[in-house]
Amino acid sequence: MAKRGPVAIEICSTAFTTLGHAQAKSLGYADLPIAVIPHPFGSRSRDEVSQLAATCIADIAQLACEPVSGTSRAAASAPEPPQRAALIEVPGDLDELYQLFRERRWTDGFPVVPPTAERVERMLRHTSRSPTELVAAIPPAFGMATVERIAVNAVMAGCDPEYLPLLIATVEAAMAPEFNLQGIQATTNPCTPWLIINGPIVKQLNINSGINCLGQGSWANATIGRALRLIMQNIGGALPGDMDRATQGFPGKFSMCCAENDAANPWQPLHVERGYSAEQSTVTVVCAAGTLNMNSHTKNADDLIYAFADTLAHATSNDYWTGGEPWIVLPPEHAEVLANAGLSKAEVKRRLWEESKMKASRMAPRDFMRTQDARRTELGVISPDSMLPISSTPELIGLVVAGGPGTHSVYVPTYGNTRSATRVVASETIRGNK
Amino acid sequence: MESTQIVDPTAPRQSQAQQARKTLDSLQGKVVGFIDDAKPNFNHLVDDLAELLIGKYGVSEVIKRRKRVSSYAAPEAVIAELSEKCDLVITGSGD
Repeated sequence: MAKRGPVAIEICSTAFTTLGHAQAKSLGYADLPIAVIPHPFGSRSRDEVSQLAATCIADIAQLACEPVSGTSRAAASAPEPPQRAALIEVPGDLDELYQLFRERRWTDGFPVVPPTAERVERMLRHTSRSPTELVAAIPPAFGMATVERIAVNAVMAGCDPEYLPLLIATVEAAMAPEFNLQGIQATTNPCTPWLIINGPIVKQLNINSGINCLGQGSWANATIGRALRLIMQNIGGALPGDMDRATQGFPGKFSMCCAENDAANPWQPLHVERGYSAEQSTVTVVCAAGTLNMNSHTKNADDLIYAFADTLAHATSNDYWTGGEPWIVLPPEHAEVLANAGLSKAEVKRRLWEESKMKASRMAPRDFMRTQDARRTELGVISPDSMLPISSTPELIGLVVAGGPGTHSVYVPTYGNTRSATRVVASETIRGNK
Repeated sequence: MESTQIVDPTAPRQSQAQQARKTLDSLQGKVVGFIDDAKPNFNHLVDDLAELLIGKYGVSEVIKRRKRVSSYAAPEAVIAELSEKCDLVITGSGD
């Protein structure tokens, strides 16, 4: 808005002012006037809001009309093309180096692999793309993620060099507009990109799709997910307490990555369902907002779907108030129960969608009002007796098969204002010596 | 103490041509637009500020537009409308 005709002013609460300034600068409007009001704001009473308005109006009037001092910052020349990343002189002692990483907040809280030039170059040999090629400007700071800088953070995360093409595709997927990385990075919700890998690359890189595939211990799973988090933090600028406003976050923010279990999947793989060929390797990013264990020993498909649907429906769900894209990870045993009953994946989704509809009155009144607002275009007038679908269509319920033996499905609720995105992983030959 | 070198893991911000800030001579007779960010209470703040802008500062008209949800940008049609009609546009960010 600031770049168009009118004068623009932004109102932020104190907790979000840093984010507001940083983003304005990144978008070319460093001088965007911001009127600040005390945080929290959303929980104030109506009278308190009126009092804040009476105080704020003077700031707004002043910001709208105050003369602009200093030399004009009129449009500058065209932006510089991305450069190679700088080499930094750092202590040679490992303990001192780790202390520096901690001070600069370049880690996720765990030690990282020092990104020496040699390690970075070794990783860059696994792509034909130029090191200075700009893959994306990562929000909320819009830091320039070149191929090289992706590689640097991949080294730090502990990735094998062979992972680089997958990581580049992951960044591309995370930047799909429908994924809404901007919202995910800055939200108070506990959110993380959950990476689901399909295709031949699963075996090539030994990505775990079985026992404990969402847990610790698998090198590829752990480091690929971690690399994306370091990219989001070190390049995207979303540091906890700074531009990352997560109230508590959750452990998936360290890393959340798995492959789909092809061998145990009675249906089409996720990427084939999405229109890709089985021979292609893909990465799908889903904005996970936690995980919930759905432990059911039933061998009856109807009972299983009923139990799942009952679990999905909860009054505090982002998916329900905004019309989201919830996901379920089925273990081989549950997938077998459903497939043996003759159910296709589409039919499972349709049944889940119907049976998980939730009465709007289960929400707290304020949440009900937000839902009325957010889903009016989709659902029309919503009354307390309205039955809310978890997503606008059954097809938006995501189903993947992953995990080992056991009767545990995983419900993955999402941020709500997000849609998953899938990108192909480029087949690359290794340049030079491995 | 021996030193070594590492590659910087951070990145410069995408460089954008910085825009010059605009201001008004006064609010008297101006048209003010609001993009309500759909966060709790922002609609009330908009209502109160609109009343004050008209009653106390002589603003001639207030146009209010509300986003469907806070974490997506306002539709282009809304931005275009307010850009054309308004002298000042006020938005909210975060909470």
